[in-house]
Amino acid sequence: MTTIVAIRCADGVVLASDRRASKGGMIGSKAVKKIYPIDSRKAVAIAGQLSDANYLVNLVKAEAKLIEFNRGFPLTVKEVAKLLSNMLYSGMRNYSPYITELLVAGVDEIGPNVFEADISGAVTDEMFTSSGSGSPMAYGLLEASFREGLTVKEGAEIAKRAVRAAMERDPGSGNGVQVMVITEKGSEFLDAGGAA
Amino acid sequence: MLPRGSEGAYMMYTPDGRLVQVEYAAEAAKYGSPVVAIRGKGFAVMVARTKEPDPLLDPMEKIHMVDENIGIAGAGFTGDIQLLVDQARVEAQRHRLVFEDPIDVRTLVNQLGQFMYQFTRYGNVRPLGASLIVIGSDRVGNHIFQIDTRGLLLSGKALAIGKNSEAAVSLLRGEYRPEIDMRDAINLAVKALSSAEEGESPVEVGIAKGMSFKKLCLKEVLDSGLPS
Repeated sequence: MTTIVAIRCADGVVLASDRRASKGGMIGSKAVKKIYPIDSRKAVAIAGQLSDANYLVNLVKAEAKLIEFNRGFPLTVKEVAKLLSNMLYSGMRNYSPYITELLVAGVDEIGPNVFEADISGAVTDEMFTSSGSGSPMAYGLLEASFREGLTVKEGAEIAKRAVRAAMERDPGSGNGVQVMVITEKGSEFLDAGGAA
Repeated sequence: MLPRGSEGAYMMYTPDGRLVQVEYAAEAAKYGSPVVAIRGKGFAVMVARTKEPDPLLDPMEKIHMVDENIGIAGAGFTGDIQLLVDQARVEAQRHRLVFEDPIDVRTLVNQLGQFMYQFTRYGNVRPLGASLIVIGSDRVGNHIFQIDTRGLLLSGKALAIGKNSEAAVSLLRGEYRPEIDMRDAINLAVKALSSAEEGESPVEVGIAKGMSFKKLCLKEVLDSGLPS
């Protein structure tokens, strides 16, 4: 359940999510956070088992900070994605997988980057991507609207519309949209306004 | 006073707060043939003289590749240097396994420094009789580092280790210029090296720039020019 979206733009990245947590057929929570900052210019959007995802994100946040202290400069987006995927992979291989899919997005010295890490530990480098039960609907809008060289302002609008589209048809997604924009300058949550 | 012959089994302070075994190890590293490194704008270089050539023996290498972007040269016991180079290579590959990217120089020297430091904390081990110069290029920039027998890290614009390295350092102190180009840096490093130890044997040159490290012999560099 969930719809999350990440788009790589010319001047940064955009992450968007719905706010619903499902408990079986029930809506478990109507105001869940699914986008987590890793540092000032990186964030992870989560889908799947909330507890697994939270555990991994907290671990990677701590690990990233330690590495940055030791070597004196922050991790790249790819390195964050790899740290996550290493844990996902060992989970899968040890018959206790982390039931989650993560979109890692941010801006580093290489530029804006979006990666997807799935339950098996596979990492893919994407221009735009979506995950969760609403992703088929979100992809429909993304495939039609995405082009290279989007600004984050345009990207944020597309990401918001993609999540909204999924919320219209996917019972696992709903209760509002949250959007985060990350540029060279830093990250901020946009006020996506009104629940759909 | 320790009983005779048991000195090596202890790693304990003297009454005036020194660790003599570590100081002896530092002394051993001072007998190794010197290595000089210089960092300029956009590059880092190091030079070291190989052993006197013997027609019966293959020449021994003094500068060791660690990964495609980092090289190490050591002064001191050859076995200890080899142990550290092996350790560095494993660390570099481990980093690649975790991140799918080459290791950065800072992380590598931190780990090597920690490794060497451990030998100063326990009895029944011998502190490594080797100091190292590590140069490399990563996405942060180009670096030169020196690691001494205690595991102490030094970085800077120009460094020297090994026999008579004080002479090399004082020459570098007088002649180093921040805007030095690569050719001049190599020449200055060779001059500093020769001021520390005269020799006829071939000089090896390590060049780090643009995320890569290359090892050449000085003759190659002088004859065919610098690698682009």
